[in-house]
Amino acid sequence: MTKPVERIMVYLDGSEGSILAMRLAVVFADFSGAELYALSIVNTRALSDLVQSHIFLEAEREEYRRELSEDGARYLNHAVEMGRRKGVSVQSLNFSGSIAAGIKEKVGELGIDLLVMGPPPRIRSRRDAMFDELESAMRTVDCSVLIARNEERIEKLYREL
Amino acid sequence: MSLIELIDKRTVKVPLEAKDKQGVLRELVDLLALATDKVSDPEALYQAVLDREALGSTGLSEGIAVPHGKTNAVKNVCLALGVAPDGIEFDTADGKPSRLFFLIAASTDKAGPHIAALADIARLAQSSALINALVRARDASELIAILQGD
Repeated sequence: MTKPVERIMVYLDGSEGSILAMRLAVVFADFSGAELYALSIVNTRALSDLVQSHIFLEAEREEYRRELSEDGARYLNHAVEMGRRKGVSVQSLNFSGSIAAGIKEKVGELGIDLLVMGPPPRIRSRRDAMFDELESAMRTVDCSVLIARNEERIEKLYREL
Repeated sequence: MSLIELIDKRTVKVPLEAKDKQGVLRELVDLLALATDKVSDPEALYQAVLDREALGSTGLSEGIAVPHGKTNAVKNVCLALGVAPDGIEFDTADGKPSRLFFLIAASTDKAGPHIAALADIARLAQSSALINALVRARDASELIAILQGD
């Protein structure tokens, strides 16, 4: 019988929500024996938009790209460590481009069948709804999506692993 | 972190009192420092914003300016928003005075949220109708309502 979940992926952006999603994914991976991937994205699309709109200078684009890349490496190290503490192997993934495109591309490329995400930000304007990239990924990605909620319960599950 | 998440009524000023570029930057920095506990060193933030302006003006076309600075004198990412209905010379791309000012400050380890907020402003800057509506706002509450309704 095919396992219901074979490959799980979490997108990490350093937010509390994405850390919570990672904890839940570690629990699921342990429970199901699924492979677990953590994805970090350097949002070069946003950097290009900022240069094009003249908010950023070229020098700022490079400076921020480097910082995003360093932040991403830190998030991934943290994710690997979270898995290691519970005996779960976490494979790191990097992508440069837009967030929605990165998530969709990696899901397709690796055959991910479950994307675990933190709670999406509260939508407070129509523009938020139209342009939020995580919202867009959640709506359009070609796999099941699990939203991590109830921090207390997830912390307990992770702690008890 | 979207623009609307950063909006705090205490850091929105309509109209601004300043009449020149440096005055606007000072007024917005002081607004952030006095109204919130997010700025530990207003002078350091002011200097960071001035240093960035020295590399090239953040005055865009359509009457928008997006001064920004990165410094550990602020916590996380924060925003001050001001309107100068009569316009202030800001060395803009199209040579026209700026009327809508978004000052964004971020700590040095918050590149992601900083970029997300700036990208949101870049998208907003593409709508002349929205900019005009914001500039016509009579007070902070009306300006926030326009942003939330957009």
